[in-house]
Amino acid sequence: MAKIILTSFALLYTVNLLYAQQRYTVSGTVKDETTGETLTGISIYTFNYLEMGTSSNSYGFYSLTLPEGDYDLIFSAIGYETDTVRITLKSNMKLDKSLSEDHFELQEVVISVNNKGNSIRKANIGLEKIDVKEVENLPVIFGEKDILKTIQLMPGVKSAGEGNSGFFVRGGSTDQNLILLDEAPVYNASHLFGFFSTFNSDALKDVEIIKGNSPAQYGGRLSSVLDVVMKEGNNQKYTVSGGLGLISSKLSVEGPIQKGKSSFIVSGRRTYADLFLRATEDFKDNSLYFYDLNAKVNIWINESNRLFFSGYFGRDVLGFGDTFGAEWGNGTGTIRWNSLVSPKLFSNTSLIYSNYDYDINLHSGSSEFNVNSTIRDWNLKQDFEYTLNYKHKIRFGFNNIYHTIIPRRFEGDIVIDGEKNNRYGLENAIYFNNTHQVLGNLTIDYGLRISSYSLIGEDTYNVYDNGTLTDRIYLANGEFGKAYYNLEPRLQFSYMLSNRNSIKGGYARNTQNLHLLTNSTSSSPIDQWVGSSYNIKPEISDQVSLGYFHNFSNNKYQFSVEGYYKDLKNQIDYKNGADLVSVDDVESELLFGKGRAYGAELMLKKTTGKLTGWIGYTLSRTEKKIDGINNNDWYLARQDRTHDLSVVAMYELNDSWSLSGVFVYNTGNAVTFPSGKYNMEGTSVFYYTERNGYRMPAYHRLDLGATYTKPHQGRFESSWNFGIYNAYGRENAYTITFENHPDDPTRTRVLQTSLFRWVPSITYNFKF
Amino acid sequence: MKKILAIIPAVLFGLASCEKEIDIDLNDSDPQIVIEGAITDQPGPYFVAISRSVIFSIPNNYPPVSGASVTITDNGGNTDVLTEVQAGLYQTNTTVGVPGKTYNLNISIDQIDYYATSTMPQKVDLDSLQFEPWLGPNSESNYVALPVFTDPATLGNNYRFLMTINGVKDKRYYVYNDIIGNGLINSRPIFSPDIDLNLDDTVEFEMRCIDVATYVYFNTLSQLSGGGMGVTPANPPNNITGGRALGIFSAYTTQTLTQRVQ
Repeated sequence: MAKIILTSFALLYTVNLLYAQQRYTVSGTVKDETTGETLTGISIYTFNYLEMGTSSNSYGFYSLTLPEGDYDLIFSAIGYETDTVRITLKSNMKLDKSLSEDHFELQEVVISVNNKGNSIRKANIGLEKIDVKEVENLPVIFGEKDILKTIQLMPGVKSAGEGNSGFFVRGGSTDQNLILLDEAPVYNASHLFGFFSTFNSDALKDVEIIKGNSPAQYGGRLSSVLDVVMKEGNNQKYTVSGGLGLISSKLSVEGPIQKGKSSFIVSGRRTYADLFLRATEDFKDNSLYFYDLNAKVNIWINESNRLFFSGYFGRDVLGFGDTFGAEWGNGTGTIRWNSLVSPKLFSNTSLIYSNYDYDINLHSGSSEFNVNSTIRDWNLKQDFEYTLNYKHKIRFGFNNIYHTIIPRRFEGDIVIDGEKNNRYGLENAIYFNNTHQVLGNLTIDYGLRISSYSLIGEDTYNVYDNGTLTDRIYLANGEFGKAYYNLEPRLQFSYMLSNRNSIKGGYARNTQNLHLLTNSTSSSPIDQWVGSSYNIKPEISDQVSLGYFHNFSNNKYQFSVEGYYKDLKNQIDYKNGADLVSVDDVESELLFGKGRAYGAELMLKKTTGKLTGWIGYTLSRTEKKIDGINNNDWYLARQDRTHDLSVVAMYELNDSWSLSGVFVYNTGNAVTFPSGKYNMEGTSVFYYTERNGYRMPAYHRLDLGATYTKPHQGRFESSWNFGIYNAYGRENAYTITFENHPDDPTRTRVLQTSLFRWVPSITYNFKF
Repeated sequence: MKKILAIIPAVLFGLASCEKEIDIDLNDSDPQIVIEGAITDQPGPYFVAISRSVIFSIPNNYPPVSGASVTITDNGGNTDVLTEVQAGLYQTNTTVGVPGKTYNLNISIDQIDYYATSTMPQKVDLDSLQFEPWLGPNSESNYVALPVFTDPATLGNNYRFLMTINGVKDKRYYVYNDIIGNGLINSRPIFSPDIDLNLDDTVEFEMRCIDVATYVYFNTLSQLSGGGMGVTPANPPNNITGGRALGIFSAYTTQTLTQRVQ
């Protein structure tokens, strides 16, 4: 006993000694040596005080406080050569570090278990990082690299349909994902009805998805945060890269403005499927294409201040001769100012603009008819990151978003509806978050986000009780109306059982004040966004999750299992026969209720070696209970899929050839099929008994890809990418329809439509 | 609009898609009472048809419901006990359809009572029928029918259009309300996804002024007929109360123009 006490004393004494010593901070930015891009998630530590290690933030900034002394400071991350810098710390110092890419990637890399970037240690649960470079070689439909399709291969993330870039996270609907492109919310992340995403992967640097347990700096959507960061541009030399594909081509140019200090990148993409269409006699007057443009400039004003300007503009264009024309797309712009206020305090200020609109023109004879709508945000964000000491890393800040929604308007020579007013809303949030290393093996990340949403005039708001108008509230121009306040606690922890395995858990409340109204089973560019109102309350989600993480074989393999339970409130659904287009006020068509989602996600990942890839499996259930639907009983949400399996494999055959394969299997969506039929005006009409009581057939598919990289010829690099989508030609049901038999009036029939069997693709990529 | 947009992916991926008839194991459902009753501003008699639903997999033989007691009363104090003229088909004897009048349908089947009420809207004249060339997505030049009528100033008018082209009935449901185009001269194009309108086709075009329950009923059916891309299917809300029944009871005005496409 005396021994224990003695040891404790000794321990205490050392701790005190440690505190008694003078401490200094080393801080700086970590960059890629060849491109000058700042690097996120690089571990910085020293063996003397392993537990004090840190990692670089999303702007490449790090801050490490250590007792006075001499250290070997280690910088390490997967894909980069580990580098050691000897420092003598006797005052606060600045140390910027450039790391070179690991060119021996093919060989087995032994990652130190002490690596702080190690997923085992971090408190984040439900977080998946996508390596943009890693997924480059995966086969995709039409050969169009697409990060939104890649994240659908992660457990807990499900595709919204064949070839669709929409996704469901842990049972949430597609509008419950906060999709950020350089911090700017993207309201419609897809092109051409979901078959392509708005993200041109050539312009992207980092992609991360957080499945509901987001830290307090994120908010505004229930299910997930998809944080997409654009490349900053090479600040060492000019490079041009591009790709020629079957249906689209793209080109990126990047380079220094002032070497080492500032750089730019411009990346553009356009599809030309319609050029083929036009070549045919039948479709010569049609247009159907999309294009997008990403641009970013970053400037180091001085050692401690940096400015970023980034923008995105994308548009889909569709037309039939001169009778029909439609256009829609997003535009975003971000101005950011990074500032190193002190060695321990990092600040980022962002001013963000995002816009989504569509415009449809119908021209028939002498009459013109136009439908349009817009959602536009001005967004101010301030984030501070304060490294108090190695035990406490504090983040705090605020966010104000001013939303303008121009509701769907029908305009034309002949038919004009009552002019609908613009709707305005102000969304505010303040947050605080602390990552607290309680013990060497226990990290707790806790925070609070306080959010509010207020309606702002001028408009008249209708109040409904079960669809019956009970009140009308008029708000004058600029007058504040109903306001909703929400407290959103967030908590995550990680407890390391050993260097190889850990337990993580978390609880998070998220709220959502912008809602996408769509009662159709597929997404459409004309779906309407609405803000919370007198009828629509903020959607609320409470999620608890618990996971076990295990690395083995020298961290070559990572295994994880996570379970979650999510409780959803103020969920929105639609009356049977709801009319969301030609109704005076869509809010009269809405029904409200609750939901629940729970499941288990398993992931086994091999990160190094010639063969890399992962197996992801999700077992889950998602249900809703809405007053007025399914006799007010619980029913399965459409996106409920019991089993969901993805197998992803990449194999480096030799220096020039690499192969890849993707296999997916999932239970069919829960759908509503008729259980009977009856006669109405001489035609058979279908009789339905319960909501989503049936299943679509199981979906499975194998995609194969091969990449041939030509040996470098001077600066010129090129590669050929071959792929086949749905290699064994499975006829997956895209839709199942019930109809009267066209030739036999005494019968009804069931039709299955399948898309995309054996879709080959070939893409040529180059860089110089 | 949604319908137009819905055909676009179909066009885009028409080449890649394939369609086949499949068998699906559907649950059986208990037979439901189906009521289909109509009163128009044209001279009677009018009919109420009562049948039962069947399970999906069998042929379209819908068993008629005989022996029901069917009564129609109106807000003018008239009561009409309908006569079953053939199995499941009940005919009025004295009822006169007048715009503005409210009709109550009262049915009793096996001690279960069913009620429905419908008010015949005031008639809006179909002034003329026009045809305009329409360049479809496959660049085939077809025609589109544009009914021309003046919507009354008061909000709340609902319309249904029916087309018979060269004697073939277009089975789609076309319904409109005056949320768009209230109080104005309307000439909204009616696109038929099933039947192409060509030059010299004979079009029998019917315009009905319907009440809001009928609008909701047929609008729901039209949403469901959009194929698998449409809304989550559900039974359309109807105006039948008391016992549970499918179908609709509707009092409407009707006017038909027959014209050649030119």
